[in-house]
Amino acid sequence: MMTENLKKYRLTSEEYELAKKSLGRELKDIEWPLFSALWSEHCSYKSSKNHLKKFSFRNSMTPDMDGENAGIIDLGYGEKIAFKMESHNHPSFIEPVQGAATGVGGILRDIFTMGARPIALANYLCFGEKSAPRMNDLMSGVVRGISMYGNCVGVPTVTGQTNFNSKYNQNILVNAMAVGYFSEDMPLALSKAKGLGNYVVYVGAKTGRDGVGGASMASASFDNDTESKKPNVQIGDPFFEKLLIEACLEVLKLNLVVAMQDMGAAGLTSSSFEMSANGEVGFTLDLKSVPLRDATMTPEEILLSESQERMLLVCEPKNYEKIKSVFSKWNLDATILGQIHNSKNIQLKWGDEILTEIDPNVIVKNAPRYDRPFEKWVNENKVEKNIEPLKKINKKYQKENLNWIYNQYDQRVCARTAQACESPIAFVQLDQTKRGLAIAVGCRPEIMKMDAQIGALDAVYYPAFQMALQGAKILAVTDCLNFGNPQKNKIMSEFVASVEAIAKASLELNAPVISGNVSFYNETLTENIISTPATGMVGIRDSVEDLIPTHFTSAYESVLCVTYSWVQSYVYVTEKENQVAQFNLDVSANVPQFIELCQLMDQKIKKQDVSISAIRSCGLGGIELTTQKMSKDLIIFEKAVELNSDYLLKDQFYQFLLTTTDVVGVTDFLNEHFKNLKNKNQLFKIEVVGQTIEAKI
Amino acid sequence: MSKKIGIVRFLGTNCDADVMKWVLGSGQQAEYLWYQDQFNIENFDQIIIPGGFSYGDYLRCGAMAARSPVMKSVSEFSKKGKPILGICNGFQILCEAGLLPGALIKNESLKFKDEWAELIVAEEKSFFGKQMKKKQTLKLPIAHGDGRYYNTGDGLKKLQDQDQIWLKYQKNPNGSLLDIAGITSESGNVFALMPHPERAVFQWMGSSDGVYFL
Amino acid sequence: MKFGIKIMPREVILDTQGRVVESYLVSQGFKIQNCRIGKFIEIDLQSDDKIEQKNEIEKMMLGGLYNPLTEKYEICDV
Repeated sequence: MMTENLKKYRLTSEEYELAKKSLGRELKDIEWPLFSALWSEHCSYKSSKNHLKKFSFRNSMTPDMDGENAGIIDLGYGEKIAFKMESHNHPSFIEPVQGAATGVGGILRDIFTMGARPIALANYLCFGEKSAPRMNDLMSGVVRGISMYGNCVGVPTVTGQTNFNSKYNQNILVNAMAVGYFSEDMPLALSKAKGLGNYVVYVGAKTGRDGVGGASMASASFDNDTESKKPNVQIGDPFFEKLLIEACLEVLKLNLVVAMQDMGAAGLTSSSFEMSANGEVGFTLDLKSVPLRDATMTPEEILLSESQERMLLVCEPKNYEKIKSVFSKWNLDATILGQIHNSKNIQLKWGDEILTEIDPNVIVKNAPRYDRPFEKWVNENKVEKNIEPLKKINKKYQKENLNWIYNQYDQRVCARTAQACESPIAFVQLDQTKRGLAIAVGCRPEIMKMDAQIGALDAVYYPAFQMALQGAKILAVTDCLNFGNPQKNKIMSEFVASVEAIAKASLELNAPVISGNVSFYNETLTENIISTPATGMVGIRDSVEDLIPTHFTSAYESVLCVTYSWVQSYVYVTEKENQVAQFNLDVSANVPQFIELCQLMDQKIKKQDVSISAIRSCGLGGIELTTQKMSKDLIIFEKAVELNSDYLLKDQFYQFLLTTTDVVGVTDFLNEHFKNLKNKNQLFKIEVVGQTIEAKI
Repeated sequence: MSKKIGIVRFLGTNCDADVMKWVLGSGQQAEYLWYQDQFNIENFDQIIIPGGFSYGDYLRCGAMAARSPVMKSVSEFSKKGKPILGICNGFQILCEAGLLPGALIKNESLKFKDEWAELIVAEEKSFFGKQMKKKQTLKLPIAHGDGRYYNTGDGLKKLQDQDQIWLKYQKNPNGSLLDIAGITSESGNVFALMPHPERAVFQWMGSSDGVYFL
Repeated sequence: MKFGIKIMPREVILDTQGRVVESYLVSQGFKIQNCRIGKFIEIDLQSDDKIEQKNEIEKMMLGGLYNPLTEKYEICDV
């Protein structure tokens, strides 16, 4: 019986002993699922929490929101932003459309539960090779799921990144990010339950057997047994979510709510226990009052159901009827499940029967913590001499047209979008001050494969650099740390190196990591994915009206290349995909300073009327691939005759291209602007690499 | 003199705030109209049915919205010859409500499509604030999964004979018959189009051709 | 030989479309308990052999005509 329970509820015998010790007694039947859900990796962060403390840096714009659903940035002038990124990898591998759709729905709820209106979505996707089994279905399904949900709910998907690598053949990554906006009149809602006698109210969709057991499933590695996990599929309904957004924001705006929390992973269990633990108050919770889709559901199933589009809120009794009428206007139900009482315990009831009474802190705050073994990071693959590259870009990396993905996303609903998926980063206009909010995602798996520390620094630097080139200053970071099995030393070492690198870069750029998510056990039959710490970030620019384009705008202009060498490699020109690319690293480079100067450059270009008509960062695949991406409307790139292919293919971090009709003037301007860059002579370079021409049809 | 415009909201409408912003920005007055309520048609000079996913686009796009109480007033409003503009889902709703002929069905590609569309004004109509000239081109974004205009052969012929097709795609994005992007009613007071003029109001949005529509 | 294949969302799975249509019908004053929406496919098979027909339909279904995770199907006469 005991061994069966341990297996069924995915607890180790040590964790079981810890549970018993915390309770001071044997577990009741109804308590097994509680411990199982709340102590899962997914909910408890038991392998990562010790390291996530390294993200504690905050600045004056980022209040400490410990325990809340997402991080907040105060932009001044009455404007605030909430944003967060989250993974839905395992559910998307099992059922791509619904997995991706519910991923989007979940991250949106994290945002509007705080009172912010969602204004933008972004996604970060990693797929395997197209020849891998199911891969085409997975790709088209994930894109359809994201598009179906985001479009219907009326939030534009403005940017994203899609990666392909055989290491994701059996474990794709689906990370979704949502950005929310608080106008001046919108109060910030917290998840802390409080106020003796206040009601605990359930709102939104009815509870069904969706995803029962899903939270612990998400943290378990795949095996060949996914067939038996069938009944877990949760179905997302963006139409319901749209109604829920409007109803929730309306009651929050009317100040009718004391606290609000969405029901995410482990559904009612985690939302109620977190609200109670965060507010340090207890309440009753009658499971028999939960609105059900299927009347035969057991209390355990109700506790663990992951039915979508549901929220829990706390309100004063006098406001309940008002709340009910707002929800009913939006065709939604609001049902009282319990009331805050004197004790700190949660009392779970089934009608009049008391199932258990338990202090949520015993579970939430006593969750196990693991200090998984890891090694200190060393840059192993660093080479001193130049690498001998191939002469041609590897075919599989040639510019791929991903329009079939972006064209399925509504990028302009909300009428705020100034720049979207066709450019490296997005800009949306803020309602009150008309400033531009820059949105980007990052992390290049090819670099992570090369070196986890450099890859994770780059996961922050590179999107910040892309923002800087268009004049936006990075403000804050969110992350979605996708890793394999943390019980393996190599994976844990990469995890720790990544966390420390992201923390370092965020401090250097004064952009705190204000929210995030960890997804471990991205492993199938002992094959781990490339460690992939995806990042999302927002930045700010004074206006969206004078952005320098990221594509060529006219023919017969010179193309200038500006390089600041930190790392050099040939990621896209190595013969075999699984061969680790080597790289040259110059530790004397000061990348954050270079990024800052790039950001300041944008204003100067405007002020001094410098002739620059397009600008874009050079990504992997070097100048060759970047110029292909900049080509548009039949204006293409012609390289300068003296350049060899090595030069065009080399990956330089960091490098950008710009177009001008005034090479001398722009070169002088750049030399003057970047003159204070440390080690400038060695690392900083400006060259003419070619010109734009009209393509022959 | 500024007009008073009624903007209809159904459950699932999601371009209502965008249209409100656009209308107010152009100096007109506006008020939301809730799908469950009828309204006094004397109080408004024009009605706009914005885009979105009313009732989640379930069953058929616009089918359930077309049968809600507010549409009784919209229908009355139309009978008086007063101007109505439907955008995207608003177009679908007007077809389902019988205020416009034909139907909008799934895009030929079976996929949702978001892109900038080049349009051509096929017929000069006097409905819009700024006069659009015949053969004038416009750039507006589209974003829809069910934008393919369908009608019977006779129905299409009637539309052509009565100059009801006023907006066409230069490059057909969805398989729409006769490249139709927008039509008007026989009576000439109900207009609808699949592209979104409210998303093309300023140059920074990518185009400002939306100004022709208010 | 003509066959009909009725595809319905599995009972345990939320039918988002059915839920909305149900609430619409209730708002129109109809007294209904539950509404679920599926698909119906008509197929004309060349074969006249009953066993072969059944096998072929099963192959088609598993070949992507339905999603066994979220849907169930039954074969009906037309």
